Formats: sequence, structure tokens, C-alpha cells
Amino acid sequence: MPIHILPPEVANKIAAGEVVERPASVVKELIENAIDAGASEIRVEAREGGRRLIRVQDDGCGIPAAEVELAFARHATSKLHTAEDLARIATLGFRGEALASIAAVSRLTMLTRAAEEPTGTLLRLEAGQVVTREPRGMPPGTTVTVEHLFFNVPARLKFLRAAATEAGHIHQIVTRYALAYPERRFSLVSDGRLTFQSTGSGKRYDVLVKVYGLEVAKQMLEIGGSRVSGSAALAAQPASLQPLNLEPIVSGYVGVPSLHRANRQQITFYVNRRWIRDTSLAYAVVQAYHTLLPAGRFPVALLFLELDPAAVDVNVHPTKAEVRFSDERAVFQAVQREVRRVLVDQAPVPTMAMPPSAWPSPEWVRRQTLVEAGERTARQLAIELHRPGETPARPPGAEPSPLPMLRLVGQLGATYIIAEGPEGMYLIDQHAAHERILYEKLMAEKATASVSSQGLLEPLPLELTPLQAALVEEYLELLRGVGFQIEPFGGETYLVRGVPALLAVGDPRQALVEIIEGLSQDEELLAQEREEELVRLICKQAAIKAGQTLSVQEMQELVRQLERTASPRTCPHGRPTMIHLSAEQLAREFGRT
Amino acid sequence: MRVSCLQENLARGLAIVGRAVSHRSTLPVLGNIMLSTDRGRLRLSATNLEIGIHCWVGAKVEDEGATTVPARLLTDFVNTLPPEPIELSLVVRTQSVNLKCARYEANIKGIDASEFPLIPTAEADGMVELELAGLRRMIDQVAFAAATDESRPTLTGVYASFRDSLFTLAATDGYRLSVRETQLAQPVKEPVSVIVPARSMMELARIIGQLPPPEEEEPATVQVTVTPAGNQILFHMPHVDLLSQLIEGTFPDYQVIIPKSYATRTVLDTAAFLKATRVASLFARDGSNIVNLQITPGGAIGHPAPGTVTLTATSADLGDNVSEMDALVEGADIGIAFSARYLLDVLSVIDTEQVVLETSSPTSPGVIRPVGAGRELFTHVVMPMRPH
Repeated sequence: MPIHILPPEVANKIAAGEVVERPASVVKELIENAIDAGASEIRVEAREGGRRLIRVQDDGCGIPAAEVELAFARHATSKLHTAEDLARIATLGFRGEALASIAAVSRLTMLTRAAEEPTGTLLRLEAGQVVTREPRGMPPGTTVTVEHLFFNVPARLKFLRAAATEAGHIHQIVTRYALAYPERRFSLVSDGRLTFQSTGSGKRYDVLVKVYGLEVAKQMLEIGGSRVSGSAALAAQPASLQPLNLEPIVSGYVGVPSLHRANRQQITFYVNRRWIRDTSLAYAVVQAYHTLLPAGRFPVALLFLELDPAAVDVNVHPTKAEVRFSDERAVFQAVQREVRRVLVDQAPVPTMAMPPSAWPSPEWVRRQTLVEAGERTARQLAIELHRPGETPARPPGAEPSPLPMLRLVGQLGATYIIAEGPEGMYLIDQHAAHERILYEKLMAEKATASVSSQGLLEPLPLELTPLQAALVEEYLELLRGVGFQIEPFGGETYLVRGVPALLAVGDPRQALVEIIEGLSQDEELLAQEREEELVRLICKQAAIKAGQTLSVQEMQELVRQLERTASPRTCPHGRPTMIHLSAEQLAREFGRT
Repeated sequence: MRVSCLQENLARGLAIVGRAVSHRSTLPVLGNIMLSTDRGRLRLSATNLEIGIHCWVGAKVEDEGATTVPARLLTDFVNTLPPEPIELSLVVRTQSVNLKCARYEANIKGIDASEFPLIPTAEADGMVELELAGLRRMIDQVAFAAATDESRPTLTGVYASFRDSLFTLAATDGYRLSVRETQLAQPVKEPVSVIVPARSMMELARIIGQLPPPEEEEPATVQVTVTPAGNQILFHMPHVDLLSQLIEGTFPDYQVIIPKSYATRTVLDTAAFLKATRVASLFARDGSNIVNLQITPGGAIGHPAPGTVTLTATSADLGDNVSEMDALVEGADIGIAFSARYLLDVLSVIDTEQVVLETSSPTSPGVIRPVGAGRELFTHVVMPMRPH
């Protein structure tokens, strides 16, 4: 087979695969162009999650009539001239691929007028080919309309998710840029409804309130609020004259320790106002919260790093979501230090009403016991442990043996239950064991089609982010099937009228939010797995937690119920509920044999 | 410090303050009871930082002073002593307390009293005066409905409101609501409403139950004061003060939750209803704790067949149970399901012979009230369960 150079339309389609993954990526590229064009007002419109139509309108500098076609050629850009420029990128875009890629997989209309020209230009392309070109009267700026995205890439089209989910992703992109550019006014219209608007006041806190809601915003602490805003400082210094500063300026907001989430998704970073993904920096933030958060919980953080453009390489990935720092350690340390400092300085001291000398809040006391519990268990037993599930003695094909009768001995570190059986000692994880008990109970109830639901005295309004709302919509029937009485209440708000009887002891709102967050972690579940996952998440919420001191009766009841479950040795997520230390092992360790 | 008192008085005082001792605190002094002399009596004090209790014990004070000693050891030791006078004296040099009773003697090591948190006591007359036994009854009827889960702080409390001559206690956990009202002997000068932790209220009820019966004919009373800063409430009883932190926040507007109308009104014998629910709960407890009520009105006027209420409970692996009761049913027949636990909780605090259950639909709240309680208005609202 002879080697030949690919025709440009094929090359564009391939490139489009990298840059344009879903409607939200188109929005991202177009917003970046608008920002680089110096727009102060950016309007985004989407229909059907961006499949039908995406329109991004700005009041930026526009494109001169003579250069309009050139904008759609590959590697055409106004933002970069020489390879040296690549080392000091201050604009968001630079690769010159975005427009070409988008045009290759959609029907695109561009209306643009450069401020200094009397008329604008209308250019219509279909699959990258110019169909129409005519002059048009219009105010300065650019409007790009992308219709029927992926109309010529059926494979991609098939992988798009529900319209609400895609709309959620677009919402995320728009809010992301609104946070980075508080001085520009962003608005998002989704299916004709205004779903987001920032004020463009230049105050980041205003945008924060719009994006996270007042409730969360009130619980955020500001970092480096007094410093000069980054871009002004950057613009002021002639880049070539300054010595290379590898230490970033960190600003932004972090949540108080009592504000925590089940996953790391709420830790976001911007480098020179560019949103990035960086697991190592996220780790730095989590580290800064060390001992302040319960185990397995993650903080909410929104951090802006300002660095010399030369000290960071953004040309790592076509979507520019990942960057490389020339001094990664300095950045890591700066982030950790700044976050820690603001936590230590500003974290509101729990209010103490009685004599201030000796009144720690019950929360603090509980946390302290938790921390100490962890330390105590961290000292590892130097004993060869084996899990009961791996016992080799079982004849092949036999049913997994049920648990023997166990005698309760006590509780360890408020997390584990110690019990004695005929074959030695059992350490039982109280949370995992309870999860298993509840799971079997709930599945049995489901099998007889009678999952009962406890009504709430007052319906509880639940305000969700668009992404969460899309998930709830997708899972609505399943949620109802397991006992949530929940109904849409307009926009991203849902009304909860009842909860599964199991959850009727705690805070129903918090439980539901945790469950939704849990669902958002595995997007790719098959239909029949979803229901089981939902039940597992409910059990996780309802189960007693580690760190909870149990009475003897409670522990006895737990062990008794565990004995009666069908598979007592693992929790529904597959982790072991218990560790077995046989009498022989104990004897061997003590040198008695 | 040198004091002598009777063993039984000291033992009772220690039992009262003992519940406020915090055995798991990181502050060792909170595991101690403070002993101090106060105007010719011995004062015992303990606190877990949420509540603080003072108890005064009649004693002969020979020397003033104060110290703190480990609660558990002191209580256990005093409980084993014979009913004879006990002599307590503080050895300042070693900070230990010497106890002598009959032929027993002990030295218990303590911590200096200055390390013990200060618990304010009543200085002046209280804002309002309540009758002790009545208050205890009110707490029993309300406090159980509060949430036990710490994530919603305001719901873990009991709402207490004083307005003119009306005193109201209310608590809810979002699934049920208990409201109890009573008339005050004296109207309050200005309306006050606070949220008291349900745990503190339950302790208060327990202490009221432990107080010795009053010597005079007059029923014993409690003086209630909210501190000027509005963050603590003080209950001043004969010989005992209980101080509790208050919960900050706004209590939900519970008035709107109480249904104003009903479709079916069922009057039942309280004891029979309680018993039938208890039987049903045996079968309901392993499942979701659900009890089904089928309410059927009796015959038309002139045909005096009574109405009936049938309780059923089913457990997948235990079996099932049906109990039937006669009832006075007014309105349409209805099938409704409740949590057995919620029904048991409320029925066991109703002390009238008959109880009324008002229902509208299988998904709207049911109202339970005692029949013939007069001015002591008690209302309990409970949300039904819905089987799928």
C-alpha cells in the first residue's frame, strides 16, 4: 500500500476527534476565542444540550473581512507567530486548530465584523467547505453558530449522552470561564431559558455566589485577597525584563473544613486563568486539610495560580486541560502552604458560649477521638492475617460456610468489633458489616416489591447543580423504586416528599446529595447495575459509620444480624467485613507451638 | 475544706450530678465532680460542656474550700458505704480528699478546683415559674420526637416558647411533630422562645423524677431563666440547678404542619391501641417497621355496630400478624401505614383513657391527640409510610 498524505478534510476530521469530544468542547473553544478577542460580554446559547445548536456571541475585536476564510484553515492563528512565542503563551488559544476542527464536523455559520471595518462578513461552512459568503451589516464582534454537530460523524453522535447531561457539561464550562474572568459578563441560555449569568463586575466573589450558591459561598475562605489581581500585574511587567519567577501567586477560595464532599470533583484549579486538571495539585489541597476532614471526604476549593507564562507549558494536550510546570515542587508547596495558612488563620473557631478556657465543641471532641482512633489502629499488627473468605480448606463447589456463632468481646478504635468464634478471633468492620446487613434486607424487600417509604412532614426542596439534576432525572424512576418520593419542581430544583424507611433517621437532604454524588462517579453503569448501585449507596448512607461508639447491646445485635446474612464476609462493595485470626496463628505468634 | 454529711444525701446528690459527667472527654477535669462549700451546704457540680448540674446537699461545714475528684470512684465508694455520717476533708498539699464513714476511710486524689469550668448559678428570681411534675410530663410527651442525628442541629432540640400565659414545647425530626401547650400561672413580661437540646430536656425530666418529695403542701416549682446573652438556659429547682447550652437557629414553623381538617376521625382505647401496636411491632421490627391500619366505620345511625381498626404487620422471614379493635369511627374508611416505632413512642406518653387519630389520606399526615385532656393541649403529627 503506497504511503500518501491525507487529504485535508480527513486530517481535519481526525484532529476534530481530539479537540471536539462533545458539545461542551465546542463551547469551550469558542469561549476561548471570544476571550482572546477581548470581548467584555459573551453570550452562549445551546439547544438540546448543544446537539441542535450552539451559539457563542461576543463583542470582541472581530475578524477583518479579508482574513475570515483563513481563520478556518488548519494551523491558522493570530495568537502566535514564532516557535519562541510558544514558550510564553498568554492567550488561551494558540494551536490554530479549533475552528477548523469544529467546522469539519458541523454546519457552521460565522458572522463577524472587525471594529475598524464598516461592514461585517457572513460565512457559512458545511463539513469544512465554504457554502456561502456575503457581506452583512452588524455591530462589531463575532457570532459563531454551530448546528448539527457531528452530523457527519455518526459514531461520535452515538456516544453523546442525554441532552440534560450534555447541557450540564456546557453549564460547567461556562461557569468555569465566568469564574476565571469575573470582569467579563457571561450568560448562558439553554433551550431558551437563561440558566446562568454573571455580572461582569470584576468581583470574583459575585461569580462564586452565582455558581456555588450563597449557602456554600458563605462557607468559603478567601486566599490572597489583598494581592494585586494577577492579570494586571502580568500586563504591567515587560515579560522579557523580569527574572523568571517560578513561584506562583496563589489566590482563590477554599471551603471551611465543615464543608466537604464525597469526591475530588469540587477541587478546581486555574493556571493563568486557564482551567486545568491536576491530580498532584488536588493532592496538595487535600494534604493541607490533613486531620481536618473526616476520612474519605474531600474539600471544596477554587484556586487561581499566577505564573510567568514561561514557567508553564500548556502545549501538552490538544484540549489544554493539562499543563506542565517547570518547577512542579515549588507549585505544589505554594498551593499547600497557602491553603494551610488560610485554614489555620481564618477557620472560624467553633463558638464557645461558656467560659472560653475549657469548652471545646462536641464536634471538635468527636474529631479528636476520630483522629486518635486512626493513630491507634495505624500501628500495624505484625501478625500474618488471613481473611476468612480465602480459607483453602473449603471443598470445591460447597456453599460458602455461614458464620459460626460469635461471642462479642468489645470494640476497637470505635471502628471495629472484636468477636470470638470456635476458631479464634474475628475483627469485624462495623460499617461494612452493617452495610451488608442493610443491603440484604433492602434487596429482600425489593424482591417482594414492598420497599417502604417514610413521608416527610414538610416537602424538602433540593437545589442541585445542573449536572446533578441531569443525574436525578436519569435515575428518577429508580430512585422512586427504592423509596424516595421525589418530583421535579422546575429548573434544577426537586421536591423530596419521602425517603426510604432506612434513611429516616438522618438528614434526608444530605443523604440524597451523597447518593447523587456517588452515582456521578460511575457514569458507565449498565441499566441493571444501576439499581444495585443505588441500593448499595443507600445502605452506605444508612449504615453506622466508623468512629461511632456502640453499646454492648448494639454490637451484639449487629453480630447476630450479620450471622444471619447470606454472605456475611464481604460488604456490598466487595470489601471484607471481617478479618479472621485463627487460634493456631495466635498460638504460633506467641510461640506456644 | 472540712465537711460532714449523711451518706444517703451524698449518694443521692452524686447520682443527680453524675449524669453530667463526661467520661470520654479530652479534658480530665470533666470526668470529675467538683465539691465545694456554699452557704452552709455542700455543693456538687459536674459538666460535660453541654449541660452543667449543681446539687446542694445539707451538710455541716467546718472549713470552707473546694476541690474536684474522679466521679466514678467517688460515687462507687460512697454507694458502698453504710448509712452513717461521712466526714470529708481536703488535704491541700496532695490535693486529695479524705473520707471517713463509720470504720471505712479512703483518700481520693483530685484535681485543683480552679481547673474546673465555671457553671453559673441562679442569682435572681427566674423569668418564669413552672410546676415540676407538670414540666416533667410535658418533656416526656415532646422530647422523644426530636432528631437524634447531629447533622440538623435545630431539630435535635426542643422548642420552648413563653408568650403571655401560654407555654409551649415542640419537637420534630422531620417525620413527626410533638406539640404540648399549657397555661402559665403568671403571664411572662415579654415573649421568649429558645431551642434547648433534647438531651438536656431529658436530663431535666430525669432529675425532676429523682428529687425528694416536697416537704410543704405546695407543689415544687422550677425557676426558668434564659441568660442575658441568650445562649444558655438555667433551671433552678429545690437543691438542684441545671444549666444547658441553647441551640442557635430558627425552629421550623410547626404550626403550618399541623393539619387543620380531617376526613376520618377514629377514637380508640389508648391501652388497646398501644398493645395492638406492640404486638404488630414484633412482626414489623426486622422489615421496615411498618404497621398497616385499616379503619372501617360502623353501621349507620340506629344500627349500633361499632367501627373497627385492624392492625397488620408482615415480615418476609418472620410471618405476619393481625389484631382488631373496636373504635368510634367518624367519616370514610381508610387504609394507612405508620412506622411502628413512631406509634409506640407517642402512644406510650398519652395518659388519657382514649386517644383520637385524625387522618385525611394514605399520604397525608395523621394527627394523634389524647381525648379529654382539657387545657393541657397535646398534639402529635406523624407522617405515614408508603409501601410500594
